[in-house]
Amino acid sequence: MTSTATPVAATPVTAAVGADPPRGRPRRPRSAWLLLLAPVLVFDAVLFLTPIGRLVTQSTHDQAYQRVLKDPLVVRSMLNTFEISALSTLATVVIGYLLAVVIWRRGPLMRVILFALVLLPFWTGVLVKNFAWAVLLQDNGLVNSALQGLGITDGPLALLHNRFAVIVGMVHYLLPYAVFPIFAALAAIDDRLELAARSLGAGEASVFRRIILPLTVPGVSAAGLLVFIISTGFFITPVVLGGPGDMMIANEIDFYARQLTDFAGASALALLLTLVVSVLVAAYQRILRAGGEYEAG
Amino acid sequence: MKSPTPTPTTTPSTPAAAAGDERRGSIELRRVRKTYGNLAAVDDLDLTVRPGEFVTLLGPSGSGKTTTMMMVAGFEELTSGTVLIDGKPVDRLPPKDRNLGVVFQSYALFPHMSAAQNVEFPLRMRGVRAGERRKRAEEALARVGLAGLGDRRPRQMSGGQQQRVALARALVFNPAALLLDEPMAALDKRLREQMQDEVKTLQRALGISVLFVTHDQDEAMSMSDRIVVMRDGRIVQEGAPEDVYAHPRTDWVANFLGDTNLLPCKVLERKDGVAVVDLGSWGVGRVRDLGARGDTYAVSIRPEHLRFVDAERTENRATGRVLSSTSLGATIRHRLRVGEKDIVMRELSAGTRAGRGPDDEVSVGWTQDEAQLLVLEP
Repeated sequence: MTSTATPVAATPVTAAVGADPPRGRPRRPRSAWLLLLAPVLVFDAVLFLTPIGRLVTQSTHDQAYQRVLKDPLVVRSMLNTFEISALSTLATVVIGYLLAVVIWRRGPLMRVILFALVLLPFWTGVLVKNFAWAVLLQDNGLVNSALQGLGITDGPLALLHNRFAVIVGMVHYLLPYAVFPIFAALAAIDDRLELAARSLGAGEASVFRRIILPLTVPGVSAAGLLVFIISTGFFITPVVLGGPGDMMIANEIDFYARQLTDFAGASALALLLTLVVSVLVAAYQRILRAGGEYEAG
Repeated sequence: MKSPTPTPTTTPSTPAAAAGDERRGSIELRRVRKTYGNLAAVDDLDLTVRPGEFVTLLGPSGSGKTTTMMMVAGFEELTSGTVLIDGKPVDRLPPKDRNLGVVFQSYALFPHMSAAQNVEFPLRMRGVRAGERRKRAEEALARVGLAGLGDRRPRQMSGGQQQRVALARALVFNPAALLLDEPMAALDKRLREQMQDEVKTLQRALGISVLFVTHDQDEAMSMSDRIVVMRDGRIVQEGAPEDVYAHPRTDWVANFLGDTNLLPCKVLERKDGVAVVDLGSWGVGRVRDLGARGDTYAVSIRPEHLRFVDAERTENRATGRVLSSTSLGATIRHRLRVGEKDIVMRELSAGTRAGRGPDDEVSVGWTQDEAQLLVLEP
């Protein structure tokens, strides 16, 4: 985790290899295991580890790390990345939780319809979604026209080309990633727990605060982690919806690679991002494990 | 979150005192109906659980027993009729204000709380202070034999222990009555019997009324003061366990509550609780009669109520042939053919006369009180 050579996505793979076979199934010989894993290992080696290895070697050329870390734009875009990702994650998880609860409380038919609505943005290209938001949020767009038409505002609000717009676009893209893990956590709750709580004297608010919410913490943290990691890699959205001050690290990598043709610098930036995210994820999981006595039990 | 209702829980008799103490702990259902579309899950049910009484709703799945319990608890709305607890109508009260201790089949313990926190939960909801809460939870856990195990999580406990936690949690706030929904179904046989004894002992000691739901006739027999047999949303028979067992009104009840031999018969005469019946090849006999009316009748004789008799005895006797005898340990089960009818009889292994083998000619007899005239359901 702490080595630059170990990227984030390698963690689940190693975990799966090292894991014990599920209990209750007959233990297979080791060779069978390797055989079953072979396609994944080959795939990873060719398409993941090799390019990463190239990135690592490239990044060591021309004092790339020292150079990029001295670039004020790099530092700025790093900070932007974490600020925008944190805010987007927070908004996505909160809205995703509400959506998941609404879906969970409905009957089977409404569930299917609502899930389809949640999945709709999933099936739409990110560029399409971003431009749709740009149309909605521009000075003479739907939102501003409506606000002025209703007499709520006098002139157009600056809704586009700023951080707000970037976060709106990102949350829209990220919502399904939060709704599904949270819904899964809600669906796993035994219905009778709620009945029991109510029979024991709990009202709606108490049932939610004391039973539902604590039991969905694992789902919420899984959603948060997933959404945050995806957030840090956003590239198109800051370009389409953001202003000059909202560029994220992916834009900076693009700038180094294509405008400056400084591949060493671009590689160093990519690995720095991977490193920082890895450290944050590790810290996050440690905090969760320390706090989640329910899981430890 | 504090409960908005200031229900006094530390003094259990206070709320009932206003309504008259004699109905404290009673549950009454009056003409209760629950329909789903055209289907009546519960149909005009009248039922009273008297204070301190242990009443069991016994029936197969789909008989409406769980729906009935859910309506008492407030989880299901009534289509019509009314439910009274402590003599007061509760139809407009949400479950949290009904003050009933409910134990579910799966126990429904909160997995993210310790046993003690689970038991404290209803007290917390009633705004009981932390110190008092802890003390009462400890007492409740001790009462169900779990002293010192309050720190465990439900998943660290055995099925029997979890069941006890659920019981402690349902009792700790001194509810008006206990509702138990198949609470033993997940336990193995030995543990189930032990828990049946313990629950029964606890219920007697606390003098609390219990509405118990089960499909297990042994459980119903061993625990109840009164059994209410349900089928298709209706009560088909109710009474003390021994009475319902010994004197079923219909063949369905007789079969549902244990094994029986049903002998179709013609009623010749009915008078003063005794019927004279023509049993065909079994001859004419005298049996008990509860006065149930129907189109076709049969006589029910439990296997253990048949015994081998000497051929000379005249009344209530039939002669047949042994088909097989199987030892079940404590009892022996004989299959006999009497006339065209195969019947089963059971006798204790101890005191059995040896040497009765297949194809032996035997005479079996029964006493008038042990044979029951009943209506054959169409």
